[in-house]
Amino acid sequence: MSFEIPIGPQHPALKEPISLRMTVEGEVITGVDIRLGYNHRGLEKVAEDKNWTQNIYLTERICGICSHSHATCFVQGVERLMELAPPKRGLYIRYLISELERVHSHLLWLGVAGHEAGFDSFFMYVWRDREIVMDLLEMITGNRVHYAINTIGGVRRDLDEGQKAKVLEGVATLKKRSEYYLRLGATEPSFVARIAGVGLLSYEQAVSLCATGPVAKASGVARDVRKEDPYAVYDELDFELCTADTCDVLGRVVVRVKEVLESYKMIEQMIKGLPDGDIACKAPRKAKPGETVSRYEAPRGENIHYIKANGTDKPERLKVRAPTLGNYPATVEMLRNGFIADIPLIFAAIDPCICCAERTVTLIGARSGEESVVRMSDLRRKALARPLNAGVKRNAVWPF
Amino acid sequence: MSDTDIVESLKRDLGAKALELTNPAVRRIFFKVATADLVPAVTLLRDKYDCAFLSTITGLDAGETFEFLYHFASPVTTIHVRTAVARSDPRFPSICGVIPGAVLYERELQEMFGVVVEGIPDGRRLNLPDDWPDGQYPMRKDWKHVRPQEIIPGGES
Repeated sequence: MSFEIPIGPQHPALKEPISLRMTVEGEVITGVDIRLGYNHRGLEKVAEDKNWTQNIYLTERICGICSHSHATCFVQGVERLMELAPPKRGLYIRYLISELERVHSHLLWLGVAGHEAGFDSFFMYVWRDREIVMDLLEMITGNRVHYAINTIGGVRRDLDEGQKAKVLEGVATLKKRSEYYLRLGATEPSFVARIAGVGLLSYEQAVSLCATGPVAKASGVARDVRKEDPYAVYDELDFELCTADTCDVLGRVVVRVKEVLESYKMIEQMIKGLPDGDIACKAPRKAKPGETVSRYEAPRGENIHYIKANGTDKPERLKVRAPTLGNYPATVEMLRNGFIADIPLIFAAIDPCICCAERTVTLIGARSGEESVVRMSDLRRKALARPLNAGVKRNAVWPF
Repeated sequence: MSDTDIVESLKRDLGAKALELTNPAVRRIFFKVATADLVPAVTLLRDKYDCAFLSTITGLDAGETFEFLYHFASPVTTIHVRTAVARSDPRFPSICGVIPGAVLYERELQEMFGVVVEGIPDGRRLNLPDDWPDGQYPMRKDWKHVRPQEIIPGGES
């Protein structure tokens, strides 16, 4: 007997509105259907009515965590359309923010993963440390989330010596702690027992379903836009591509902590090698007719913007594909044959988050398929009757 | 393999099928195929050029035609396959048989542009609500959003 459990779209524990319909047999998930659109704001259509500068701030609002990813992806495409060469210092600051953002996003996720796995002290430690990077971002850009530092042709704020020293200091602290988290996350027996072997996605599935980002990397797919299509400053930086071959949630944890460690390396390199000069160049108001494809490695995977210009100050077409959409077909496969209790863990492992499965007040007999609705009044009556029916308990006796 | 090698190789493999083969920027290769050649071209890209990763499919309203761009990425370059269908008869084949991960992007094209993807394994709506009126395709250029009149219960005070 199989039946459907709806999770979302509006769920007290769901951070984003998405509807998942799980077909379950007992505790085992046999099928998943994902329905999107509850948060569809028609941004691609809106972008056609806004000029290039307005669109920087529009694209920044696509995502509330990796806001800088979308703005940067858009801006680097527009710069290519306008044939601009932003000054080196501006680019270094822009991608410094990118890496700081990756750190804050991955630390956020690690905390959530710890929380979903029932390891709440890990969650609190990681989120405490995330504040360090949030403070650095606020110091540099003035904001914690929507940094608004990008402009066409460079960035809007410069770095001074004091800020550089503070970033290095913060990163040194984070590095030490992240190494500890890597050791903890990969060896703590109860944590590993909870996440190992959960949400399996084989290498073949990851390739055929076009998975991207840490999800693909944890299945052994060594793909990273920063390596294979190095944009702006990434061909000057020394970093490694992090993968894992366990194909499960454990692998996704390991990949993300390793990526964070690589990001610290890149941040240090960028701060130490920050060139002198201007931070932005002047951009024209209009772009010549043409088209470009801009790719960016966001914390969650490949982010791609297709931009077509028609000679005016507005885009003819802006197509955005955020990495999470690319990972949904893979998520369906990860959830299949898993347990209901693993849904939050697996779903959180691609990086959107839901905390717990929705419970229904329609009870369905697992074997017979009979439905019976429990009314609120019945529940209340049962709750009141429960202590009366319980056995008599003696008061605890102090042993001494 | 550099971009020029890939362009030369594509010319040899696809011959007259690959129209407008260009390489406008580093690691960006564009070419156009007829809709009938789409699936064979995609199969070739997947098997010979290591382009199993489909980034997304972009739809464009170009007036008389709809253009679709399939953005593929291999470890060394990105290849963008363009195809066009007439606005009067917008049908083209699904590539889900070759790239199973394409299904969400094709579903999005169907509802946003009002095109028919033939042979799509799952043709339901993806983003638009269930009560969205038929025949309204938001990403078409002639579609304009009209904000419905706000009705305040009890009237304005």
